[in-house]
Amino acid sequence: MPTATEVKKRTVRINGCVAAAQAAKYADVDVITAYPIRPYTATMMALAQMVANGELDAEYIVADSEHSQLSIAHGAASSGARVFTGSSGVGVQFAYELYSPISGSRMPVQMMIADRTLDPPGDFGSEHTDALSTRDMGWLMGWSCDAQEAFDNHLMAYRIGEDPRVLLPQMVCQDGFFVSHITSDVELPDSGQVKEFLPPYKHPYPLDPRHPVSHGPQIMPEQGPPLQLERARAMEDSMAVIEQVHDEFANIFGRRYDPWIEEFMTDGAEVVFFLQGAHAVTARFAIQHMRDKGLKVGLVRLRTIRPYPTDRVKEVLSKFKVVGVVETNMGLGSVSSGGVLYSEVCAALYESQQRPLVVSFMAGMGGEAIVMKEFYWMTQKMMEAQKQGKIEKRTHWVGFEE
Amino acid sequence: MSYTELTVWTRGIIMDKEGRDIVNSVAASARLEGKFAQAMENYVDNPDRTNCPTRKYCRVSDSVIENELTYENEQPNIIVLVEGTMVKGWDYMRGMPPGGTLVINTHYTPEYMIRFVPGAERLAQLVCVDAAKLADHKWLYYRLGELGLDRLSTEGAAERNKSIAPDIAAPLIAAVVKTTGIVKMATIEPMIANKHAFRLALEELHIMPLNPVAA
Repeated sequence: MPTATEVKKRTVRINGCVAAAQAAKYADVDVITAYPIRPYTATMMALAQMVANGELDAEYIVADSEHSQLSIAHGAASSGARVFTGSSGVGVQFAYELYSPISGSRMPVQMMIADRTLDPPGDFGSEHTDALSTRDMGWLMGWSCDAQEAFDNHLMAYRIGEDPRVLLPQMVCQDGFFVSHITSDVELPDSGQVKEFLPPYKHPYPLDPRHPVSHGPQIMPEQGPPLQLERARAMEDSMAVIEQVHDEFANIFGRRYDPWIEEFMTDGAEVVFFLQGAHAVTARFAIQHMRDKGLKVGLVRLRTIRPYPTDRVKEVLSKFKVVGVVETNMGLGSVSSGGVLYSEVCAALYESQQRPLVVSFMAGMGGEAIVMKEFYWMTQKMMEAQKQGKIEKRTHWVGFEE
Repeated sequence: MSYTELTVWTRGIIMDKEGRDIVNSVAASARLEGKFAQAMENYVDNPDRTNCPTRKYCRVSDSVIENELTYENEQPNIIVLVEGTMVKGWDYMRGMPPGGTLVINTHYTPEYMIRFVPGAERLAQLVCVDAAKLADHKWLYYRLGELGLDRLSTEGAAERNKSIAPDIAAPLIAAVVKTTGIVKMATIEPMIANKHAFRLALEELHIMPLNPVAA
């Protein structure tokens, strides 16, 4: 495949959807499979324009549904193509059957997720439930909190997923609207930088009539466990690769991200928010204001949830007295009867000698912005728990209580 | 410190680009002037449904915008109705603090239109501009071909004319900038494709002064 046109570094004002499309262009993807659903549609449209304008030489396939979209992505990846796809909300759900086969056949397909609340009702807002419900299917997964980070995460995800030690698909997630449709300044790199960072993709065993191989054959039950173990190990082994790739990214592009956790104003903090994605933007402002008033509050933002950095979460969160998990997802009837992040946090902390109190906040549901005063309210709840040495209840629905 | 909210009410698909052009050009101009600005123009209000009322938002501030993730403007200082009949039927004035500006695309006078405006006492001025006359009476006719494609929910991707404000948005932007000073005329004018209509509008605004805010 010919490489993308040489371009120089420049800063553009784009939203998260276009940033994702730009990343796919820089990655010089071979096959794009698409099916419209908002907010992901904006990425699909941007890519369609790039292909139509001749900026990107890729097969652009509009499928008849998300299930077909992911099936085609699977097939294309099996033939050795670098594949880009994406979806939102119920679209992510409709393709569910494909997630395990794609990771099971170790195809590093990349899927952009612009979160959307699941039905009912038909709501455009961002909840993380769509992608999170697929979190144990063997896909690398993490959230960006702005368009620049989304662009960077897409490039890094290809590099990580295509590493021969990993070979796993990636869901690169961003909040619908909050990232996908808010514009901000994004630095697009030199094409030379990307060439240095992301070598052309070569799958070790592509389908090729000249070199016949079998993919996904029917097997006997006793042949299953070794394959599952191998996939589980790939997920574990990816952790070292993820760290290495983040280092290399920082060296080449000059933006350094902690692969697992971003800490904001946690020095001297006693109560902290724990969340993923865009609401970190408002949380940072709220925390600055509360710090000005002397409140010891901080933010811990999870950047990668699969693989889950258990030890790192334990080490970081053990420093604090109270952890407030801002869910932005639904775990109906789950451990906390709130969201699914709570159990991930508590499980990581179980082995800690110094366990903080953990409370879950259902906020930003339906894609509502979590406003400043809600962060103040949640901080009050955490401080009350700290004072009393126990939580009032595991889950608070923010905006529905005094 | 100044913080201004501009909300544009328009019609899905048929006047979607017109609404987008207003908020995008104002936000881009404000950023050129060193201010902080945001434009949100393609989300909650179903912009992919023909004729449905949809809103486009813009915020301009001297300091960093902390409510960046809040979609709707809660206290719009300036409201634009891209299509005149939108003046009736719903409360587009809600949240407007005293001293606001309402700009309507209509061939009627402000004296006639004010009877339909809910909560008009909050207005410092009502501005009427006959944008279709000043731009081109047939602007919508020329867009019919691409509007057909846009009905497939392409979110503007099928639009052939990528320039900013080639049609009725130009006089409406002129009306907003001249009567509110949200950005400088010299900053925004170079962005506008239909400069003729933009300049004509500066002379042909019908402005009705109402309740100025007490200093």
